[in-house]
Amino acid sequence: MSTLAPQVVPIFATPFGVVRLPQAQTLNSSLAELFEARATQEHRPASGTPRGRLFLSRDDLLTWREEPVRQAVREVVSGVTSVVASISELSGEELAALAVEARAWFTIVRPDGCVPATSYPNTSWLAVYCVTAPEPSEQRIDSSVLRLYEARLETSFQDPAHPRSRVPYRRGHCTWRPVPGEMAVFPAALMHEIALVRAEGALILLTAAVRFAGGSGSWMPPW
Amino acid sequence: MVKSALSLQPVFAVPLGAARLDSCELLNRELEALFLAREDDEHRNSRPSHIPQRETFESRFNLFRWPETCVQELRKFVLDTVVATVLQATRLLPADLARLALHNHTWFHITRHAGSFVSHNHPMASWSAVYCVRAGESVPEEPASGLLRLFDPRGGAGAYRDPANASLHPVFAPAPLEFRLSEGQIIVFPSYLFHEVTPFYGHDRRVTVATNCWFT
Repeated sequence: MSTLAPQVVPIFATPFGVVRLPQAQTLNSSLAELFEARATQEHRPASGTPRGRLFLSRDDLLTWREEPVRQAVREVVSGVTSVVASISELSGEELAALAVEARAWFTIVRPDGCVPATSYPNTSWLAVYCVTAPEPSEQRIDSSVLRLYEARLETSFQDPAHPRSRVPYRRGHCTWRPVPGEMAVFPAALMHEIALVRAEGALILLTAAVRFAGGSGSWMPPW
Repeated sequence: MVKSALSLQPVFAVPLGAARLDSCELLNRELEALFLAREDDEHRNSRPSHIPQRETFESRFNLFRWPETCVQELRKFVLDTVVATVLQATRLLPADLARLALHNHTWFHITRHAGSFVSHNHPMASWSAVYCVRAGESVPEEPASGLLRLFDPRGGAGAYRDPANASLHPVFAPAPLEFRLSEGQIIVFPSYLFHEVTPFYGHDRRVTVATNCWFT
């Protein structure tokens, strides 16, 4: 029996962008030094719980005056905009007419530390830029990866063909290994984590929550 | 201004069963000693569904077929609790349930310092349960150490937040549910729920038994 080849397309797809920021990459050593120096109580959020293996800063990097931070944040926001432009039906002019709102913070994860699963309200995009990363380990392949959680509950039924489905139809979490100079961009409502760091050295990230405002009829809640 | 009485109720609710095995100290010590004695390649799950971690030992899924008295005593308590949860959560009557065959995959975990288990759910099962044999050392400076975290299935429900939905009563709030299990405690939940064990930072060990159940 012969059949026509079916047309199969992904629906309900989640955008995930990877952007390389060569200019920011040249700043990584300055950023790392600055962030390490400021991983102190003074720069922790008021509600932040001190944890020995994890430091999350306040989300005020856009107010920092140091040029490496200002430049890195500019490039991160620009990278997010390029991802949005690549999937949007807005023209370049229409997108440029929107105001970009952002908050950014830094994260230091030390060996045996992780960033617990989280997502962010009232924002569209999350950008995770890697400043420094421990060497990958063949023995611990998920060490320090960004893990984006599978959220589809229909996964509770599966038949023998499901586990062998191809990307983008494969079920399960998606992972991205942070590489210095690279940035992952994805919807901020997506539950995600940084898996346990199972190697020597610190994982240092600059994370930005980004949204667009100012279109006709749009209203934005405060952060 | 609303004048008539308002009816407010949780909808789309997730059933969660909780129970505790009384006088479980001796049983748990026997179970722990047995598990430690069998923490080897012969009893290790040889086909793990997730990336194995050396800090967490996962046994094969045939635990409740072991003949040891302590295992069979635990089997009765765990499966009885699952059945009690099913009876409360469904319209099935005891006689209906008695006609069904209850199948299970059951295993133990031994988690040591910095061990965890990634978020997952359990396909092809209806009910899952976790029983705590040994809670492990609590670590005050790591308050999230060794938690069983059930993720809220209302994915994205918290994406928009303003003052009128930011402080919902717990029963309505879209947020994960966390348990620091204590010895003898069992939690039963639908197998579709994603859940994880957060990194355990105690310097001893955390020992649990987990089961997935399905009925035919």
